[in-house]
Amino acid sequence: MADEKSPSVTAEAAAAPVKLPGAFRKALDRVALWSRINSPWLVHFNSGSCNGCDIEILATLAPRWDLERFGVKLWGSPRHADVLVCTGPVTRLARERLVRVYEQMPAPKFVVAIGSCGITGGVFHGCYNIVGDIGEVIPVDVYVPGCPPRPEAIIDGVVQLLTKLKPPKPKRAAKAAAGSGDANATSGGGGGAA
Amino acid sequence: MSAASVFSRIQETLGPLAACKISTETRMDIETSPERLLQAVTVFRGLNWGFLSAITGLDSTGAAAAQPGAGPASPATPPAGALAAAAGSAPADGHLDVLYHFCQGPSVATFRVRLPREHPAVPSIGAVVPSAVLFERELSEMLGVEVAGLPKGKRQFLSDDWPQGVHPLRKDFSIETAAPVADSAPAVGSDEPPGTFIVPIGPQHPALKEPGHFEFAVDGEIVTGASVRLGYVHRGIEKGAEDRSWVQTLYLVERICGICSHIHATAYALGVEALAGMAVPPRAQAIRTIVCELERIHSHLLWLGVAAHEAGFDTLFMYSWRDRETVMDLLEQLTGNRVNYSVNLLGGVKYDIDAAAADSIRRGLDYLEGRSKHYLKIVTTDESFLRRTRNVGTISREQSERLGTVGPTARASGVTIDLRAAAPYAAYGEFPITPVVDEKCDQEARFVVRVKELFECFRVIRRILDRMPAGDLSIPAPRKVAEGEVISRVEAPRGELFYYLRSTGGVKPDRVKVRTPSLCNWAAVVNVVVGQKLADVPVILAGIDPCFSCNDRSLTLRRRGRPGSESVEAWSWEDLRAYGIRYYGGGRR
Repeated sequence: MADEKSPSVTAEAAAAPVKLPGAFRKALDRVALWSRINSPWLVHFNSGSCNGCDIEILATLAPRWDLERFGVKLWGSPRHADVLVCTGPVTRLARERLVRVYEQMPAPKFVVAIGSCGITGGVFHGCYNIVGDIGEVIPVDVYVPGCPPRPEAIIDGVVQLLTKLKPPKPKRAAKAAAGSGDANATSGGGGGAA
Repeated sequence: MSAASVFSRIQETLGPLAACKISTETRMDIETSPERLLQAVTVFRGLNWGFLSAITGLDSTGAAAAQPGAGPASPATPPAGALAAAAGSAPADGHLDVLYHFCQGPSVATFRVRLPREHPAVPSIGAVVPSAVLFERELSEMLGVEVAGLPKGKRQFLSDDWPQGVHPLRKDFSIETAAPVADSAPAVGSDEPPGTFIVPIGPQHPALKEPGHFEFAVDGEIVTGASVRLGYVHRGIEKGAEDRSWVQTLYLVERICGICSHIHATAYALGVEALAGMAVPPRAQAIRTIVCELERIHSHLLWLGVAAHEAGFDTLFMYSWRDRETVMDLLEQLTGNRVNYSVNLLGGVKYDIDAAAADSIRRGLDYLEGRSKHYLKIVTTDESFLRRTRNVGTISREQSERLGTVGPTARASGVTIDLRAAAPYAAYGEFPITPVVDEKCDQEARFVVRVKELFECFRVIRRILDRMPAGDLSIPAPRKVAEGEVISRVEAPRGELFYYLRSTGGVKPDRVKVRTPSLCNWAAVVNVVVGQKLADVPVILAGIDPCFSCNDRSLTLRRRGRPGSESVEAWSWEDLRAYGIRYYGGGRR
């Protein structure tokens, strides 16, 4: 009985998604954006780094910097993450996996490249197993330079990204907000170079 | 027994199998032929001396080409696929050398085999020396030496779209002609027996911060097979060094690993200084040694936290990482950077330690010493933690010696192996260190050994600070380094680090070979997890303090199919990928 019914239900749902009233949807989007900015979940991937940046990312979670008190969480699964924190140049073998991790993340998604290697390939530029920097493989929103960057710089990189996501202040942008209608317009797609 | 008497005994034993040449007090070269190699190594192992530290492959074409009258250009290797152009400039009369370095204490005995460039082949010595398999694999991929007895066609640490027949450490390889990156690797079938339950982990995974791919075959909760595929952070540093000057290479090798960056630079600098015959001022050596030990403190505290985290003890992770900031502050104060301190120069160091810096180091050490006592108490008395570590992941002394483990992993299995004591380098001669050894062989012993080593670090740093030699910080280094070869071995936080350097008298190194400690310890861990509970696997993996960025080159698989039948096989990326696709039941990437 259930077997006969369920396919038709799913087909129907796929054909005609639930329509929300415009105002309700806008309110939901605002809540989503608010929570995303105030509690971004990060996923970390090392695509060929020397570890230097990775231990500094881990240090941001340790008691001295304690990123979690700001609502930032380093999470294991890309499927639950908002921000991909990526270190190192991209090696030939890691390239496919980096793209795969990026594709597994739900939109809107953002990428922060940590360290000099992520910007130019750094000291490994020209080595035969290096495909290039992170920006050549996936779109990057924020680059944090340094070899490795200090934990403060890494935190600042993430904060810069979050600042970019913030909707314009209501006072200044009352007109603009009335025109655009979509709170995610500022963030959609994450960099757009895909 | 002194090195000289050991060498003469080796010489007697090998007899007509090889031509022995004792070059220095601690080095002996044993020249043999590919046909006699296996027999010679078997006889040599009968002496029960030393362990296989590394296998170095050399392409001597560059050296031959530099001599007048070198042969005209002709394709030396049968080129395959897209890299045909690469082979065009190689002289046909070049040759390859394969060097097998056996080490014990300060002594190194090197078997040298000379091979033609066309169809070079050596027999595998894996039957006699099990730990050789990893090194032989690397040799066959990087230099195209066919190792008879190894499975063919399996990619280990080069990527899967790398063309066949192209070997990056050959002198005629050039980056310009390297094949473009393919969009996806071809999928091939796998021969995994149906019904085996596999738990795949990585390469992106929450536990370890570095990419490595593991697969554990399980029967219920018990692990019956383990495989690891590394190579995700293989960057091609050894070849990169050949394109850089002696000084530039210093900064490249420093970035082999961000956790133990200073020890890499130190090993390289010591090697180059030995080649160039530079007498480094004692103050520089003392400062190097202090930074080495500070780095060891940072590395061990980092490991303590990560390993505790793997066991579910996050409180210890947070405490040890908080305390680690003390030593990070000291390193930053000394050098201006928290990681990759860049202390070394060829011929000395950049930074001095004045009285004020010495005082702040002493204060930091006092604090850390108190904390370390606390940690030692925790790891030996906390009941719930001990349940995760006591009698877990036991590597017996015999296993440890057979599989060639190094560093704290070996010392926790009762093997006294510490180059700082056995073959003092830098300032360890004047400021000796006592190796910390534990006989318990389990995970708890690895905690105890590393925490106890911290006290040795504190002691030796204080001693150096109290008797700091006066004098210059550095001497000028020549732009060109005299022709020759040198082996530089140092004790990194994870164990023996091996550098082989060769110069042809130019501004660039001719060959830089790096064998890092984690590579030696992988074989042991893959063997040891079989038969353990899956839940204990992260703890055991963390036990060797694995470091991918420095050892990314190999794959091993050990499977226990039926009781009593054990076999070693290797999976290529194609196998694993096809298996992964099948496992998830779809072809969508």
